[in-house]
Formats: sequence, C-alpha cells, structure tokens
Amino acid sequence: MTKPSLQTVNPAPSPAGATPDPFDPANLRLSQSFVETAGVKKLLTTVPVRKPSPQDFVRVHPSPDYRDNFPIIELKDEREEYIVTAGLVPELNGEFVTKTLFLAINRQNTLFFWPVRLPAPDGKMLDWWRTAREAAELAMENWVRVKANMNLGAYDIYKAQSTMSDPEWPEQGFWDLIKIAFRDHLITTIDHPVIKRLRGQA
Amino acid sequence: MLDAFREVVTVDFEFTAITGERPIPICVVAHELRSGRRFRIFQDQLETTPPYATGPDVLFVAFYASAELGCYRALGWPMPERILDLFTEFRVHTNMGSKIDQDRRTPNGAGLLGALTYFGIDSMGATEKKEIRKAIGASAWHGHYTPKEILDYCETDVDALDRLLPVMLPQIDLARALLRGRYMAAAAAMEHAGVPIDVPTLELLRMSWTNIQDDLITAIDKDYGVFDGRTFKADRWKQYLLSHGIPWPTTETGALSLDDSTFRQMAKAYPEVSPMRELRSSLSELRLNDLAVGQDHRNRTILSAFRSRTGRNQPSNTKFIFGPSVWLRGLIQPPPGCVVAYVDWSQQEFGIAAALSGDLAMQASYRSGDPYLAFGKQAGAIPPDGTKKTHKSVRELFKQCVLGVQYGMEAEGLAKKIGQPVIVARDLLRAHRDTYRAFWKWSDAALDTAMLTGSLYTVFGWHVHVSETSNPRSLRNFPMQGNGGELMRLAACLATERGIEVCAPVHDAFLICAPFDRLDADIATMRAAMAEASKIVLRGFELGTDVSIVRYPNRYMDERGLTMWNTVTGLLHRPDLRQVA
Repeated sequence: MTKPSLQTVNPAPSPAGATPDPFDPANLRLSQSFVETAGVKKLLTTVPVRKPSPQDFVRVHPSPDYRDNFPIIELKDEREEYIVTAGLVPELNGEFVTKTLFLAINRQNTLFFWPVRLPAPDGKMLDWWRTAREAAELAMENWVRVKANMNLGAYDIYKAQSTMSDPEWPEQGFWDLIKIAFRDHLITTIDHPVIKRLRGQA
Repeated sequence: MLDAFREVVTVDFEFTAITGERPIPICVVAHELRSGRRFRIFQDQLETTPPYATGPDVLFVAFYASAELGCYRALGWPMPERILDLFTEFRVHTNMGSKIDQDRRTPNGAGLLGALTYFGIDSMGATEKKEIRKAIGASAWHGHYTPKEILDYCETDVDALDRLLPVMLPQIDLARALLRGRYMAAAAAMEHAGVPIDVPTLELLRMSWTNIQDDLITAIDKDYGVFDGRTFKADRWKQYLLSHGIPWPTTETGALSLDDSTFRQMAKAYPEVSPMRELRSSLSELRLNDLAVGQDHRNRTILSAFRSRTGRNQPSNTKFIFGPSVWLRGLIQPPPGCVVAYVDWSQQEFGIAAALSGDLAMQASYRSGDPYLAFGKQAGAIPPDGTKKTHKSVRELFKQCVLGVQYGMEAEGLAKKIGQPVIVARDLLRAHRDTYRAFWKWSDAALDTAMLTGSLYTVFGWHVHVSETSNPRSLRNFPMQGNGGELMRLAACLATERGIEVCAPVHDAFLICAPFDRLDADIATMRAAMAEASKIVLRGFELGTDVSIVRYPNRYMDERGLTMWNTVTGLLHRPDLRQVA
C-alpha cells in the first residue's frame, strides 16, 4: 500500500495557546490533488492532415503562430500530403502546391492540420479554396462545420448557434506538431520515392 | 512509534448481546503493555471507571473497538481519548477494490483470527470457541461456565492483541489511525442511542404480514397489472413499461433487468416505479422478525463501521431500519416529547467532486443551490434566467447526466435512463466533460494514480488497493464515496462528542433525536458539526445541509415508500386483522 508519510506525534493535547493538537483532523489531511501526484501526461503521437469531416464541428487555433504556408505535394490516390523542404522548391516547381496548414480540433478533441490551398501562381482562386479559407477563419472564433456542395462548387459553411465551450488546445508548439504530423511525410531529397514516382522513375 | 504514550492498554470485553438491546458487559480483561500489569474484572466488580489509567497519554488498543466502547457506554465510563483499533487498521491494510481480491487477500476474513493468520502470527488460543461465545452472547453462561473460565476466554483475545500490535505497528499511520479509532467511539454512541420505533405498529405488522400479502399485491398491483397470483410476470412488466414510456435496462441477453438494484435505481428516476419496487423487495426480502428492536423501542444493530470498500458503514439490511425497504421507515417515530430530525448533506457527492477536483465551474454550480439547473445553464442549454419550472425537462436531462457521471455511466446506459437516443446521452456527457474539465482531468488522474501506485486513499488515509479485477468506474468514484465516508465519520465524532443524540448515520445523512425544548439548539449543533467536517475534509469548502423534522406523534416517512406504507397500514386496520391482533 502507498503509506502516507508517518509523523512523530505527541499524544497529549497542548494547553491553550501552545502548539496545535497533532490529532486535530485539520492537521491530518492528505492531499487529493491527483493531477499533481499522478504525473501522467497524455502523449500526442498522431496528428492527421485532412479536411474536416462533413459532420464535424471544428475550431481553428486563433493564434498566427499556429498556421503557416507550406509547399505540399499531394498524392491524391493515397490521400497523402508531403511537405517539400525549402531547398528543393526551385527544383520541384510545378509539382507542388502551396497550402496553409491550420491547426484545428473537433468536438471529440481530435487535433488535426487542415490544409487549405492558397491561390495558384496565376492568381486563380477556386471557390473551393476561398470558401475553405473563409470557414477556417470563421472557425477561429466559432464552432464551424463545412460540407462540400458539388452543385455550388464550394463549401457550405455552418456555424453552431448554441453556446459551446472553447476547445482545449495542446501545450505543444506549432513546429512540434508539424514534426509529429509530417514525420514520415517530408521530402528532403530529390531521390525521395514520391519524387521518383512523380517522375516515372519508381 | 508508541514512545510518547505513558501507558498502552490492550482491552477486550465479553458481553451479552441480545438482539436490539444495548450490550451487557460480563467482564473486561486488559493488559498494560509497559508495566506488564494485567486486569481481570468480572461483572460484579466493574466500577464507574476503568481499572486502568485513562487520559490523552494512554493508548487504548482493541480489535473492533466499537464493541468495547459500547460496553464503556453501558457502564457509563468516560470514553478513552486515544483509541487504536486494530480491526480498522487491518481493513486499511488489506482493503481491496473487488470482492474476488478481498477473498484472496484475506481468505480468513477480517476478524481477529483472520488478522493473526494474515500476519503469520500464532493463532493458538484465539481460535473461536463457539460454545462459550454463544453462551455469553445469549446470557446463557450461568451454570455452564465459571467467571474464571469466561475471564480466561476473554484473555485469549487480549493475548492475541498483544501479539498482533507489534507486528501491525510498522504498517500503521498512527495519527490517522487514532482518528479512525475516534470514530469507533462515535459508532458506539450511535449504536447506544438507536432509532426510535413505533413498536405497537411493528408488532401488528409482524403478526399480520403473512395474512396481508395477497391483498397487498392486489392493492399495489392494481396500478400495474403485472402479478399473476404471487408471481411477478416479466412480460407484463414489459408491457407496463412500454405503455408508460419508461425505458428500462436490459441484461446481456436482452431480457429486462429485474434485480432489486435496477428497480432501486429506476425508482429514483421514475417515482411511479417505487411502489412496485417496494412491493417486490418486501415480498422477497422482508424479514420483519429480524428487525432489531430493543425493549426501549429502539432499533439498534452493529453499524459495521469500515466494512465497505469505501470505508463506510455496512449494517445488516434486515436488522437495520434503514435497510432496503424504504416504506418500513414509517415505523420510525420519535418518543413522546421528542422530535427526530433527518439532517442530510445537499448533493454531497457533487459537492465533494467540486471541492476536491478544484473545478471552479462545478463549485459555482454547487453553490447555486441547484447544480442540475446550473449545469444546464453553464452548458448553454438553459438560458441564464431559466428556472426549475420553466425548464423542467431539460433540467431533468442534466440531472440524470450528473447522477450518471457519478456512477460512471456511459452513453448507452444514460440513454436508457433518460429514454432518449444515444446521441442525446453522448452530447450530455460531452457537455459534462466540456463544462467541468478540471473535474475530468482530476478524475482521470485519480484513476491513473490508482493504476500507477496500486492504491487510492481518502484525505484521512482510508485506502483501497487495486488489482487487475478492480473496476475502473468504482475507482473513479472512490474519492467521492471514500471522502463522503470521511465526512460522515468526522461529523459523527463532532456531533456525538458535543452531546447530540445521533440515532443513526444514513448514507449522506444523520437521524438525530431531541426533546422539544432542545430541538433548535441540537439541530444547529448537528449542522455546525457537519459544516465543520466538510470544511476540514474539503479544504475549506462547505457543504450545505437540509433538515426534515418529525414531531411526536408523527412518524418519519420517505416519500418513495409512502404509497406502500399507506397501503400496508390500510390493510392492517382491516376489521378481520384487527380481531386477530
């Protein structure tokens, strides 16, 4: 058993004004602060990179420190996204697109990166990208749900009307989370299998 | 560890214990361990004070001390000031989170013999001698055993205590052990007082119970239509539930769950179920002759302090008036010139969770006086100006959610309880997690602590030990239940030491008795003791109390049992039964 620490006790109660009675229950209280004593911390080992599901209400981290733009290669069939390191950008022009990665969270407290396209080099901005970005911005203050509307060619955006509590964001910094999310999805050399596949070398 | 005590006295009494009566001491044997002095005093030589030294520098050691202290009460001896109960400490040391593990850990039970065996101490001499024990307990020893034989028998237990004490001592957290010992004096005081009972009605009931059962079934069942003769028909119950829109838990096979615990839980959520629950439990379990009532018209039985896993009392369901059949509580009636008051902590479990977890939202909700309404408001489901009246049904959902969380209920269970789709239950539970995040973090950490360290403990060190068969839901609930027990024990100590006649502890309440002229003062003292206890246990957080007062000749009544009580008493006054009586 976990034995509470023993203390030397003086069995006789002290006269008034002297040291307190060691048997006074107020002096015997053991802490119930399990959060401090348990010393258990939930580890974040997976951060998916995906769009919010059409049923999910999500929030986006409002701090600018928790979003950034990245050159990204999408493998559409595998639904995978790879970050291209800065040094390779000149060599891979045309292979990647630029996306903003927003840190987002749903009502089940699942954290994920929400990739949203930036305009193409020619300035072209599809309604899909525009509405996704609008939704992400709205989600910085509100719980938001996005659903693709194929007829419209854009996302429908739904804002929760009821009062829902703000999410609890992780302690980790943006770059720590990026490392977790892209640890196996980082293209650092030109002979990366993804590049070889795109060039028909695989 | 005991150096600071001038004297250490191991003590055991033999006493007559007739059902419902106070103990009648036959003899006492005590050993003063420092000097080696031995005291063997038989009934006719017992005086007005103990034969050994008393005071704050004398340690009184016993095994299940409330029995010895009951004899102190009967003799009018002043209570010892420092009590070390080795039974209680054995329970602290071996208390397991599941029955299977409890049986494995203490295969010989938690009695003196079980403790000796557990610690590998020679139990020769302490082996129960059933015949002499039985004769003493039933006051039938005269002519069969001499005083010397009885004293010798008594001394075998003291010898055993002498061997047990040094072995257990290194395991004992003395300061807190003495607080537990102090409670044994309070338990003895409550057992001494007992609960006042309307004995003439009880006698009438005992005589007529068999004769009224058929009529009772007919009378109660007229609103349900589920009995066939004396047989409860599950399919008819199902029809009743369907027609009244009452959701009901099922077993793994899909059949309706029909155990008493389910009925009891469901009766809380659906009061219309209560009379059927009372009827079923009374027909199957009620043993009126077992209800322990003394010549002084007081119900009194051993409270079995520290017997439950959470450290709470576990008195016999059949002997104690606050057993499962709540309608029987109508038998509680203050004596002439007196009142009984039922003083209970408001939302005790919720308050403990709020205080110990440090969750400010939960604390605010508790302090609002209506945590269910407040929770609904905090979650945004009830507007700030909503009331219990304007948002009755929403409040009810949030209430069931709060209660469900306390029992570790998950979405499926809550959905059944509230009669809503699982998604509604899931949203309610999520709202609880969102609103009371600090509580959940603390609750998760409590479970982690249990699994990492192998035990959980209350503020005064009552431990539950964890193994692979421990139930995580029970472990989560332990800080509330266990510390609720600490609250009760400390309040019982403070109240009884201040002269309140505490008749019984009742889960999160006390029943006290007082003459008319002391009513206000005693209730105020009782409430102050409960407030003080909560502030000590909960780091300054004060739990509120509610009071219900019953004046003679009225009787106490639990509203869950009202229909059944009225039906039974109506039948008791049938002319044919009155003649029999």
